[in-house]
Amino acid sequence: MALLQIAEPGQSTVPHEHRLAAGIDLGTTNSLIASVQSGNASTLSDDQGRDILPSIVSYQADNILVGQTAQALSIEDAQNTITSAKRLIGRSLQDIQSKYPSLPYDFCGDENHPEIMTRQGAVNPVQVSAEILKSLNLRAQAALGGELTGVVITVPAHFDDAQRQSTKDAAKIAGISVLRLLNEPTAAAVAYGLDSGQEGVIAVYDLGGGTFDISILRLNKGVFEVLATGGDSALGGDDFDVALVDYFVEQAGLVRPLSPSLERQLMQQACFAKEQLTAKEQVDITISLDDNSDWQTSLTKAQLNELIGSLVNKTLRACRRTLKDADITIDEVIEVVMVGGSTRVPLVRSEVEKHFNKKPLTSIDPDKVVAIGAAIQADVLVGNKPDSDMLLLDVTPLSLGLETMGGLVEKVIPRNTTIPVAKAQEFTTFKDGQTAMAVHVLQGERELVDDCRSLARFELRGIPAMTAGAAHIRVTFKVDADGLLSVSAMEKSSGVESSIEVKPSFGLDDNKISQMIKDSMSNAADDMQARMLKEQQVEASRVIESVQAALLADSKLLTTDEVTIIESAIKSLAQVSQGQEVKAIENALDRLNDSTAVFAERRMDSSISQALAGQAVDKM
Amino acid sequence: MNYFQLFNIEASFDVDIQELSSSYQTLQKTVHPDKFAHSSEQEQRIAVQKSAQINDAYQTLKNPLQRAEYILVQRGVEMPNEQHSFQDTGFLMRQMELREMLEDVKFSSNVDAALADVQNVLSSEFSQLSQVMRTQISENNAASNLAACDNLRKLKFYQKLNVEVDRLEDSLFDD
Repeated sequence: MALLQIAEPGQSTVPHEHRLAAGIDLGTTNSLIASVQSGNASTLSDDQGRDILPSIVSYQADNILVGQTAQALSIEDAQNTITSAKRLIGRSLQDIQSKYPSLPYDFCGDENHPEIMTRQGAVNPVQVSAEILKSLNLRAQAALGGELTGVVITVPAHFDDAQRQSTKDAAKIAGISVLRLLNEPTAAAVAYGLDSGQEGVIAVYDLGGGTFDISILRLNKGVFEVLATGGDSALGGDDFDVALVDYFVEQAGLVRPLSPSLERQLMQQACFAKEQLTAKEQVDITISLDDNSDWQTSLTKAQLNELIGSLVNKTLRACRRTLKDADITIDEVIEVVMVGGSTRVPLVRSEVEKHFNKKPLTSIDPDKVVAIGAAIQADVLVGNKPDSDMLLLDVTPLSLGLETMGGLVEKVIPRNTTIPVAKAQEFTTFKDGQTAMAVHVLQGERELVDDCRSLARFELRGIPAMTAGAAHIRVTFKVDADGLLSVSAMEKSSGVESSIEVKPSFGLDDNKISQMIKDSMSNAADDMQARMLKEQQVEASRVIESVQAALLADSKLLTTDEVTIIESAIKSLAQVSQGQEVKAIENALDRLNDSTAVFAERRMDSSISQALAGQAVDKM
Repeated sequence: MNYFQLFNIEASFDVDIQELSSSYQTLQKTVHPDKFAHSSEQEQRIAVQKSAQINDAYQTLKNPLQRAEYILVQRGVEMPNEQHSFQDTGFLMRQMELREMLEDVKFSSNVDAALADVQNVLSSEFSQLSQVMRTQISENNAASNLAACDNLRKLKFYQKLNVEVDRLEDSLFDD
């Protein structure tokens, strides 16, 4: 009998085999996917040669449309066609309605989990993003000829924890494995930095459809160190459109509320006018009103500049503050990189040039640069470039803290702290015999709890009764490399522990996510089972591969007994993972992980001491 | 292993920031979670932990006040907690004057100039006091360490004032 070696897609059988990976720019208005192929990062296009996918999802009676086909329905079927879902993700209903009062949707769901009622039922903004991701994933599979091992998804640097978590949840629902969430300006810096090999301080000015980021980075021998980042997660080119729409409404003497399709039409005409005015001095606009009459006007570049001037100024103020945070003067900035479609607006370019006193770089298409940077990072992360010198050191965009007495916020991790980071703060009880303590986690720069974003609340219970001030409660904040926070609290003398992955306030809980995954599969229960099995098998083979490589390199750090234990755990995992039992694979994985915990730590410590021992020799 | 050993640099208050930063980057190239993105979850977890420790150590040595505190604690000097009262009434008086100066900025006829004045005064007093502390740390005896500790606390007052200045600046220029 011939032996066939069957390799699952995306699962490598040989180490260092080229793995498929991609970078996704999940934008407010447009999304792209890019990949590194034979050393070159480029965007992937659909079967009609288009690489930009409008971030629009339309819920029709018997199918879901994404991209251009959905865009075509955005006026006539505004209520079922969702645009700019990124502006809604991870936000409360109140937040959305105060910021965007004229959205044409029928909102439902609760305050912290707003949903949009479509003809296919209630849809969460996370699910809308998941549809966009699915569509890009299919495109990449077709273009690259196989399933992706993992992707890097970019997010605005200024995204808060809830928005980041929601983005990761969307990928989970779409069935995509996320290697890393990467900040958009950092991705752009990678795309430019690797191109030019430049060293020194650069500024990345990223004005997208719905978000604005400014990042200051120091580039040095493949290391991209973010010094500071700032911006506004609710300011972008869409706001230019909104300013124009308001102007049109006023000029045409219209009275709100307007019909959803008229609102959409006004938005499209505003966007059209803005785009035309990048090259022209004047543009004519025609709007067909609900009574079928036409209203016409013309708009000059000067008028546009006046309408958007204060918004552009707002971005420059953020630049000033971020430079100050980075402790960098404008003269030290050697290059300004422009990212995002909205940087095509002439006023934006001229004002940025004036502010930084140098001509901004626009040599890479500002629509594609983020996806390209993400693709380069994905290629490295997936392990295709083991000798890469590239390292991205990013920061937390917003301060993280806890509520203390009197409704004040005590900062635990200040903004612009390099991630990953772990910080602990000690608190005590203020009443005799107090046995529980409420922990309220907040994000933001302001002093008062009410002015910051509430991320989560939890309670540490079972503290032994002591006199006030005797208990030592240690609250630990950890932010991982994706910028995601987890918080734990412990009473030190008794060891009572309570911890939380910060997500409940605005994110979706795990049950809801698995429900959504099930809903999105045709044959729910079986598919789900198959997917879990597949995930465990991939993890098992990854662990075996890495432990074997580790043994080969560093078995000298182990006793013979320890080696024997590890080897037998490998053997049993290898055997079990051939089967169909998810639980058994999980158990065998845990056993192997337990047996290698000390080994993994010793290896890491030994590589730390070796890294600088080499340097000491270099210096001599 | 203390932080200076970790970065393989001389244990002194006068740190060569270039050298520190270069060691830091070398270490992060070894342990950063990005280097383990395709490894097992266990290795990823340890990488996050080590990388966070190295970030913390780097921040501590990079920032002069944190570095001073770290050195003094390593020497066994006990840091009084923040509520501990100050004996130096002259210093406290000066702090109150500075605070008043800051509060008056927004009533000034030339806000920009008034703010710049306050910033100049704060930064010159801060650097004078820093110099004194630096000398005391390098003397390294029981008395000088205690004196350095006292000055470190004073410098933290200035740091807090600087935060107030930033806040004021934001509120003045954010229309």
